[in-house]
Amino acid sequence: MEIRLEELTKIFTDKNGKETRAVDNLSITIPSGKLVGLLGPSGCGKSTTLYMIAGLLKPSGGKIFFGDDDVTKLAPEKRGIGLVFQNYALYPHMTVRQNIMFPLENLNIKREEATKLVEEMAALVGILDQLDKKPSQLSGGQQQRVAIARALVKKPRVLLLDEPLSNLDARLRLQTREEIKRIQRETGITTVFVTHDQEEAMSISDQMVVLDYGVEQQMAVPQEMYNHPANLFVAKFLGNPPINILDGKIEQGNVVLSDNLIVGTSKSPNATVVVGIRPEDFRFDPQGFEVTPDEIEHIGRDTLIYFTLGEKKVRAIVDSDSVYGKTKIKLSVKKDKLHVFNPETGNVVL
Amino acid sequence: MKAFKLKLQNLLWRMKSVSHHSFVKTEEFLTRHRLGFIVNWPHWLKAIFYLLPAMLMLLVFTFYPIINSFMISFYTGFNIQTGEFDNYTLLGNYIEVVNQANFLQALQNTAIIVFISVPITILLSLFIAVALNSIKPLKGFYQTIFFLPYVTNTIAIGLVFAFMFSGNTNTIANPVGLGLANQVITWFGGQPIAWVATGATYWSAMTVILMYSVWNGLAFKIIVFLSGIQGIDKQYYQAAQIDGASRAKAFSRITVPMISPMIFYILITSVIGSFKTYSSVVAIIGVDGMITTGSSGSLNMKTIVFYIYDYISLAAQDGLMSLAAAAAIVLFGIILVFTMIQLQVGKRRVHY
Repeated sequence: MEIRLEELTKIFTDKNGKETRAVDNLSITIPSGKLVGLLGPSGCGKSTTLYMIAGLLKPSGGKIFFGDDDVTKLAPEKRGIGLVFQNYALYPHMTVRQNIMFPLENLNIKREEATKLVEEMAALVGILDQLDKKPSQLSGGQQQRVAIARALVKKPRVLLLDEPLSNLDARLRLQTREEIKRIQRETGITTVFVTHDQEEAMSISDQMVVLDYGVEQQMAVPQEMYNHPANLFVAKFLGNPPINILDGKIEQGNVVLSDNLIVGTSKSPNATVVVGIRPEDFRFDPQGFEVTPDEIEHIGRDTLIYFTLGEKKVRAIVDSDSVYGKTKIKLSVKKDKLHVFNPETGNVVL
Repeated sequence: MKAFKLKLQNLLWRMKSVSHHSFVKTEEFLTRHRLGFIVNWPHWLKAIFYLLPAMLMLLVFTFYPIINSFMISFYTGFNIQTGEFDNYTLLGNYIEVVNQANFLQALQNTAIIVFISVPITILLSLFIAVALNSIKPLKGFYQTIFFLPYVTNTIAIGLVFAFMFSGNTNTIANPVGLGLANQVITWFGGQPIAWVATGATYWSAMTVILMYSVWNGLAFKIIVFLSGIQGIDKQYYQAAQIDGASRAKAFSRITVPMISPMIFYILITSVIGSFKTYSSVVAIIGVDGMITTGSSGSLNMKTIVFYIYDYISLAAQDGLMSLAAAAAIVLFGIILVFTMIQLQVGKRRVHY
């Protein structure tokens, strides 16, 4: 089921009448059967968007379509969605079986059929042996699976996940994100999830949407977005360690940093620009510019070096062997890996 | 307002520092007067030391009377003034009490109050708590209104009730000075009723007592339930809504189980409280606990506690205090049995 948001807007008004545009004219299309991540820093409106899709929040403006149906005014229970809450919201007084059964109790189906569906779902998420326990007896990861099973048991058209991995520890997070990916692939259900963790979003989504202050920044396939950020915000938000942002200019087709250091080429006309270089896009190069590392961190296979370019501190990740024991290192920037942005608008300069 | 708040905060701060200071000073004092060993006592010994004052009070005013009541219930010919008694009897006093028509009447009155008023108050207060929780405007105002009975004197409320339900055979024949209840009845074209005065029937008087018990019990229960309901995470309701559960279903499957510990607590305390009903009967029926119904006779509206308390005026007569004690022990036994049953049921039904 394709989800289409048209100029979706949500304005919160506080007690003093001050308005906050949590979601601002958001128009995106989430393709059918895909896993799409809504990504952004805290307070960017991603959860608000999710809750509007779910129907728990009323939009201030705009429309929501599921396929061709306009569901903007439809009550949540009529939309055919499954929602997994951040803290799972499993009913603590019911067993796992009763929890998963609960959505079915409200449908007009036979008990045997309901029982069969519950076991089918439990098998899908791998908690068949936990059905008669209470949620409090389960680990965080298992609770998460129960919540997913409960959301999926009534065969919704859309699955929504609110920060699905934020309550899990690091190891479980890796495991669960594989699990979510697998469940989504097996059921083929259109899935939207919200996260503030870029690594999480990049690792499992088919497409991701980056939001900031309720405004869509970019929607793309994760690697595409990483390689070609549409603006400075996306460039800064994605990547760990973060991208290096330097002042520079374009002169006769060359990208020039301070001290007349030429780091690459551009087809754009002469202008003052902001240059973004990801730490891993530096490479060891005998023909490159010479830097003196202020600090060196060995992180196994790679080495993180800190040096100063102009006034700015810059991070670079280079091959450990090539810098081992050196006080001066010659570097260059990999071809086509420069990101050049307009300093006023922040948009990428082609 | 702001200055007041600041003063209050300063006062609280001061109190904290004074209490800490006095703690330090006490230890100093104890050490200086070679009483420092108290400071070095093990934790449990200190705890007992601090509990002593309360323990003494409980011993004198609770434990001793309980044990003494047991003892007195086994005496014959006991005189409370001299403290002398003739002999022991194992069940004599009990048998005499449970064979008294007055006691059986009191038992019946009490049972009716317990088994009718408790379920009604609990259901009603649960309903009101849910309603209060779902309104937004004037929430505080309504909460205050529903809490008012709790801080009002029982006898005062009872008198107001008695006033509202006033009306006897004479005033009904000649409708002047009817109470509010009868006025409402006449507005709707009904016949006025002599609720609790001459001409009353057993059930008309009992209805007033039950209404009073229900209403008087509401306030505290509403507050307890409301705080319980407010403690439930809203996400459970959102999840239930998405799963297509109706409001009634969300109430029965989420609200009730989630506040079941509170419901359980309220059930036990109000069953116990209702078994001990006394002042409401005094307020509504009067200190005699009887309604004279013309020349034909009278209605006995006394509860068990009322029955026991009646013996206070007869305490000087030999042996009667033992009957009162036996009745008190019977009441204790009844409450004990009911509480045990509830605890057993609660084990399976209450989700902590």
